[in-house]
Amino acid sequence: MARRIRAWRAQVPRLLEFALEHLLALPIGASIALVWANTHPESYFQFTYAISFAVNDIAMVFFFALMTKEIVEATAPGGVLHPWHRAWLPVIAAVGATTVSALIHVRVVEALDEPALRVAWPATSGTDIALSYFVARIVSRGHSIVPFGLLLAIASDALGILAIALFQPVPDLHLVQGAMIMAAAIGIAAVLRRARVMSFWPYLLGAGCVSWYAFFRSGIHPALALVPIVPFLPHAARDPGFFVDARPDARDTLSHFEIVWRHPAQLALLLFGLVNAGVPFRALEPGTFGLPIAMIVGKPLGVLLGAGVAIAAGLHLPHHVGWRELIVVGFAAAIGFSVALFFSAALLPPGQLRAETSMGALLTLVAAPLALGSAKLLRVGRFGHS
Amino acid sequence: MATARCCSVFLLAAVVCARLFAQSVVALPNRTDSVKFAAIGDNGTGDRPQYEVAQQMTRVHSRFPFNLVIMLGDNMYGGQNPSDFVKKFEQPYAELLAANVKFQASLGNHDRPENVSYGPYNMNGQRYYTFVRGNVRFFALDSTLMDPKQREWLEKALQDSHETWKVCYFHHPLYSNASRHGSSVDLRLVLEPIFLKYGVNVVFSGHDHVYERIKPQKGIYYFVSGAAGQLRKGNMRAAAETAASFDQDQSFMLIEVVGTEMTYQAMSRTGLVVDSGVIRLQTRATE
Repeated sequence: MARRIRAWRAQVPRLLEFALEHLLALPIGASIALVWANTHPESYFQFTYAISFAVNDIAMVFFFALMTKEIVEATAPGGVLHPWHRAWLPVIAAVGATTVSALIHVRVVEALDEPALRVAWPATSGTDIALSYFVARIVSRGHSIVPFGLLLAIASDALGILAIALFQPVPDLHLVQGAMIMAAAIGIAAVLRRARVMSFWPYLLGAGCVSWYAFFRSGIHPALALVPIVPFLPHAARDPGFFVDARPDARDTLSHFEIVWRHPAQLALLLFGLVNAGVPFRALEPGTFGLPIAMIVGKPLGVLLGAGVAIAAGLHLPHHVGWRELIVVGFAAAIGFSVALFFSAALLPPGQLRAETSMGALLTLVAAPLALGSAKLLRVGRFGHS
Repeated sequence: MATARCCSVFLLAAVVCARLFAQSVVALPNRTDSVKFAAIGDNGTGDRPQYEVAQQMTRVHSRFPFNLVIMLGDNMYGGQNPSDFVKKFEQPYAELLAANVKFQASLGNHDRPENVSYGPYNMNGQRYYTFVRGNVRFFALDSTLMDPKQREWLEKALQDSHETWKVCYFHHPLYSNASRHGSSVDLRLVLEPIFLKYGVNVVFSGHDHVYERIKPQKGIYYFVSGAAGQLRKGNMRAAAETAASFDQDQSFMLIEVVGTEMTYQAMSRTGLVVDSGVIRLQTRATE
């Protein structure tokens, strides 16, 4: 039986394996949540309120740590972020995408007669990195749109995190205090790195815990606690590739960290979906569509606009990337899903606004078939000869 | 045949008399030294029904001189420009405003957050606030954004209040059996423990465009009154916890507090009393 499974696994294309390993946890959690919240809301909210801190503020630390690991490795030779200046054009495109999406969001929720939802605009920045990567890979494996899309997604999420920190609807920020504690956390991580500590545990339990407290104290979501610490973990000299699982015999600290936390992070993502996606359908009003409309219309438009500005400033698009590819990448970046859901939970307290924004985040999944459809229509990647 | 016709005429006359009687009577204690107020929710449409409800309130005011109106949110729909404030608030309630009736608003999901600074809403730029009338302390909350800071404020304000009655009002109902929205269970789990801990007596909400009185839940009385402009006719799905309801016409509420008794009346746009009763101050001990 085991041999059969191994044989079957060997035949499964890597992309499907990627989908199974990275993309199912959240939809499963979200599906359970939606059914539960709409059939037994009392028990659903009792359960989720009891575990929401443990899931959202602690367990999700490992999900974002692994996302950061992918980015750190991408800065190594062979990675999409190596050298750094390659990222400038996607970063400017991301600024365009997030700005246009945010502006559209504000206008759309006004037009839909739910002006109270305007505060949720930072959630429009969220791009599900894994899903947008998956869609870009379907469009074309070796095409330049894959790294371009990844960089765009990473930059969008970074801008979203910044927006959430700076534009909370009810600000309760203690940034100076947080920065001082964070300096201590980074100091610990730097000392560990200089001492060539190869086990990830001191980084996690020492620098990581101090960093978590720094975020918590400052009023910024502590799920990001390991984001500034992960870059200090010793890692492989070359990028093994995006979302390529670390080999079991890998010796570097970052790979070892991934091997240990890969599956707990998927469990965290499942629980995250369970805790945050339980939206009672009766709570929804037309404003729910504000987020998906803003992202699906705003991201491709904003990417085009941002790229236009970057080109006007003297930067160059990657080879084989033109306006048609930018539109496809824009649609792929409009898949907010996990990150938009996280932004919704980080931004808004329980209630109607969060329910509508979270449902909007789930609805951004529509952007995936739109990205594939636009690729087919515009003959991009495997659908054409560009 | 003649008997049947006679009966029909008699019944019709009885209905007309009852209606006229209902329109002319204010069945409250209507004492001079009491706390009197009205409650309206989901009113700001600027359409004819809102004006008719406002006219009915004005008529009632001449016989039941309430000097306070609590607004349960969605005080303004659609455009919220200066002209809209005239059309959807200042004009319909002009006579009440002229009679120095004070409106104390809470905001709903259709209100612009910046409306907290609109003078006649008397919110003084605050999303949530408290005020006192006689032996009643009111807590106007922002249920659209029930953030931890607001919850902390509410706990402190409830703890510090020593009035006989503690009345909370906000937009989203913790209990509702209207089919469009229903109960906001997520908010209920956040707010109800606080209400119980600090002895809140009565809660008024809107959001569902009907009138509903809920049977006391853990000793607290809940009203949904979200039809002072909007209406979802036939939207009620009365359940075991429904004490009374009305979804056939726009409505508003009149409340009078005398000592340890709160008398309430729900009145339709046409002046029909659709529900009434007396709440005696709960004797449950606060924790």
